[in-house]
Amino acid sequence: MAELSIENIAKRFGETEVLKGISIDISDGEFVSLVGPSGCGKSTLLRIIAGLEEQSSGDIRISGQSVAGQRAADRNLSMVFQSYALYPHLSVGENIAVPLKMRRMTGLQRLPLLGNIMPGAREARGTIEQDVSHAAQILEIGHLLDRKPGQLSGGQRQRVALGRALVRNPAAFLLDEPLSNLDAKLRVQTRAEIAQLHRQLDATFIYVTHDQVEAMTMSDRIAVMMGGRILQCAAPDVVYEDPDRIEVAEFIGSPKINILPVEVSGEGRLSLLDQPLNLAVPGANRGVASLGLRPEALRLSGEGAPIHGHVVHSENLGSELYVQVEVTGLEEQVTLRTMPDRRSALTLGTPVALDFDAAKALVFDADGARLRKLRNLSATTSEVA
Amino acid sequence: MSATEPPVTCVAPAAAIRHATKERRAAWILTAPALSLMVVILLAPVVIAGLLSFTNYSLGNGSFDWVGIHNYEKLFTRSTYEKMFIATLTYVVTVVPISVGLGLGAALLINSLGRFREFYKTIYFLPVMATLLAMAIAWEFMLHPSIGMINRTLEMGCGTVLERIWPFMANSCAERFPLWLGDKRYAIWVVCFIGIWQGFGFNMVLYLAGLTSVHRELYHAAEMDGVRSAWERFRLVTWPALGPTTVFVVTITCIRAFQVFDTIEAFWPQGGGPNKSTYVMMFAIFEKGVQQNLIGIGSAITMLFLAFVMFLTLIQRWLVERKVHY
Amino acid sequence: MTRDWWKHLILILGVIIVIAPFYMMVSYSFKSPGEIDRGEGGFFGRQEMMVDERCVKLRDPSREDIAAAALRFPDTTDGNIRNALVAEAEADCAVRPVVFNYTKAFSEAPLLRYLLNGVIVTASIFLIQVVVALPAAYALAKLKFWGRDAVFALVLFCLLIPVHAIALPLYIMLAKLGLTNTYAALVVPWTISVFGIFLMRQFFMTVPDDLIDAARMDGMGEFAIVWRVMLPTAIPALLAFAIFSIVAHWNDYFWPRIVVTGNRDLFTPPLGLREFKGDGDGSYFGPMMATATVIVTPLIVAFLLAQKRFIEGITLNGMK
Repeated sequence: MAELSIENIAKRFGETEVLKGISIDISDGEFVSLVGPSGCGKSTLLRIIAGLEEQSSGDIRISGQSVAGQRAADRNLSMVFQSYALYPHLSVGENIAVPLKMRRMTGLQRLPLLGNIMPGAREARGTIEQDVSHAAQILEIGHLLDRKPGQLSGGQRQRVALGRALVRNPAAFLLDEPLSNLDAKLRVQTRAEIAQLHRQLDATFIYVTHDQVEAMTMSDRIAVMMGGRILQCAAPDVVYEDPDRIEVAEFIGSPKINILPVEVSGEGRLSLLDQPLNLAVPGANRGVASLGLRPEALRLSGEGAPIHGHVVHSENLGSELYVQVEVTGLEEQVTLRTMPDRRSALTLGTPVALDFDAAKALVFDADGARLRKLRNLSATTSEVA
Repeated sequence: MSATEPPVTCVAPAAAIRHATKERRAAWILTAPALSLMVVILLAPVVIAGLLSFTNYSLGNGSFDWVGIHNYEKLFTRSTYEKMFIATLTYVVTVVPISVGLGLGAALLINSLGRFREFYKTIYFLPVMATLLAMAIAWEFMLHPSIGMINRTLEMGCGTVLERIWPFMANSCAERFPLWLGDKRYAIWVVCFIGIWQGFGFNMVLYLAGLTSVHRELYHAAEMDGVRSAWERFRLVTWPALGPTTVFVVTITCIRAFQVFDTIEAFWPQGGGPNKSTYVMMFAIFEKGVQQNLIGIGSAITMLFLAFVMFLTLIQRWLVERKVHY
Repeated sequence: MTRDWWKHLILILGVIIVIAPFYMMVSYSFKSPGEIDRGEGGFFGRQEMMVDERCVKLRDPSREDIAAAALRFPDTTDGNIRNALVAEAEADCAVRPVVFNYTKAFSEAPLLRYLLNGVIVTASIFLIQVVVALPAAYALAKLKFWGRDAVFALVLFCLLIPVHAIALPLYIMLAKLGLTNTYAALVVPWTISVFGIFLMRQFFMTVPDDLIDAARMDGMGEFAIVWRVMLPTAIPALLAFAIFSIVAHWNDYFWPRIVVTGNRDLFTPPLGLREFKGDGDGSYFGPMMATATVIVTPLIVAFLLAQKRFIEGITLNGMK
């Protein structure tokens, strides 16, 4: 177990810059997710940490030691691959034993028949067998040890890949989209299991995914990556409630956040569709800005509400109801979360007026940077941090 | 379907039955030409050869006698046929491992290169495409004892350090260079060499195709698992992944090796080489059965040959189904 | 690149060995007998004018020739006239070695006829193979009929029998029918390609049933479906199979050697080359290598132009 620190890693493939100076410190036992759309460089970063690819510049330290120039085999990290990458000709038990054999046995001891008569081979094999069955026990795959990977289901293969990773107590686990080949139901289940495994092993996990739900549900911290940079790295609730940039706000959260175009007039007061809002950004420049409202920040309201429109679609998830509202004057529809018991009042075409919770409003400037200094003009003048 | 389920009644309408009959008739008409040709051209000859191998039949003779296993007895007692088996087995046992090994080696080397891959691939595949008979004649010229390129090249080594470190050179320079095709010590090996020269490019291409199907993530997994040397990587990932390719390559090379004929007929139209050292089975069938009209013995060799080839292919199919399928 | 130098070293050594006979074949086809004998002249030879001995011998002046030429060479002895005529003949018979070799290749033996035979035989084999195999493959892949499994099992069994191995009984059958030394003898044994049936069946299995049902809805019969629906979808597979079949039969020597004896009009290119070698004395190395070059060239050129397809075609049986 160890902490990792990634210092200003950059990676160029010819002219294209895939990673543009990534720095992140991961403490011992932490579960960090690298999340972002495909092509953001998250997998490349993971492979650089693993040692499967070499960085163009920057350094990586594991337990304070730089691993620059060290081969993947020498870094004491283990990895779970998207395709699981199990050796098809070896049984499950043999697959899990491979990393131990490669590390604990000499080349001579590993020889097919001859290896058995080499001194020490027997003892080595014995301890390896113990460790393998221990790992199998943790993952509840003891009954599968004699099967070949080809005879296993996707979920079982995934466990074997995890077993191969955890059998040798690595400094950290690297997981590259390990759930993307599973069906939806199994994914939810395995998600919980991996999180549980993390708590049980108390090991450092670095988890790459494009699915923000996975990242939100499992991690201690999320690093949102886009265009080869980390836009924000923080705990899941912080990233959700207090995003630094509009891209982060848009990427995290499902259904997606509503982004409304607003004008900043004199004194920083915001107006939506030429209607002044009870919200101001002191010190902001005049011009355009964006108002981000999560579906739960919107609420149904009466006269005098800033947003008017009519219902075009609604999705009842049982525990909550999402309503799509077409707002007059806006191109994009707005999503609203409400209680399912309002369903009868919100049939298609119903005109609605929407208000929002100023405390939950997220304002971004024209470049997408967050404007945190807001003033609520409606009631008492209070600052929202 | 389980027996407890209530039977689902589904009465086929008359039209559907008519359609099924029509389809069946069409199917038989479509397969009839292929089926009859298979029987006449492939199955009948096997039966005919099997029957004739127990006779002393020859073309032009109206009658023949059943001679029992006499022909087979000859095959296993006469020294000519002993030489035939020795020549055939020597050829197969030499050509198969070497051309498979070279094919694999070339494929691995070429696959690890960044540039010039296509160049090497093209060149090594040329002998597979070329008319073997023409190339055999070209080789014959290269191997010509006095004006051939090979002995000329070797002669250049005379008087150099090679003469001291290589006994073959010392002998040859002192006396003369080998006759190659005329020398019973070399003849079969020369034929083997040409067989390897011609066939390894084919194996290389098959292995290259096999290599593209090795999952790249497996190499990364091996690296993470602590595999450091290229040899370990080959043993853990590449070789097992090439299993099906290897089984296929070995079988097809074996079958081709058993069928060697062109080079031998081109070099020694009469009699299968110096002291019959290259008297392979195909040549024996041709000489005995066609040229000398000894159909009985020719058929016996044919049957033996078929047995070898079928045995090999059956082993291959068994291996493919049993071991190398994951 | 620098790290890979040893790989290139090994591979280039291989290239030299692989290329050597090709190099020699083409090089000898350019050289004069003298250059071949002495092993000089580089790749192309010096291309000095050489005298075609046979041509001179044919024009060896007779008594009448000398008498007729007396007018042109007045005031001299018959001996001198004779010498002058021989000199003239030698001048007329002087050719560049490359021209000599290639004209001899075509004039000493009917090489064009051989090439034509090669084309006729390989083309008919391929066409008949397709005509026979395609419908059977379609029926085996897409039609339900009693006995289908048995027929397919038979196909699998026949895959075990190499046609070369049963050459002797086939030869006897053809001889009994009086068909040796005919085009039929060259073509018939190859008309059934079990491998072709197997390959096409595997290919047709991947064609969706909907396509066939749609064709049936359009009122097509099974025969029309084979030729107007299945054939066009099978073009890529057929192309690969064509290369496989054509290369095998253009280069085949064993079977033609058995069923064609003596009748030059039926010789395929390899047989023609073999006969050339049989007659030739040492001085005919050049023309012989020219013949070999002519025979080998078509496939090699086609291969160099469409490498991917060729490799795909030749290694077809790798797909089993």
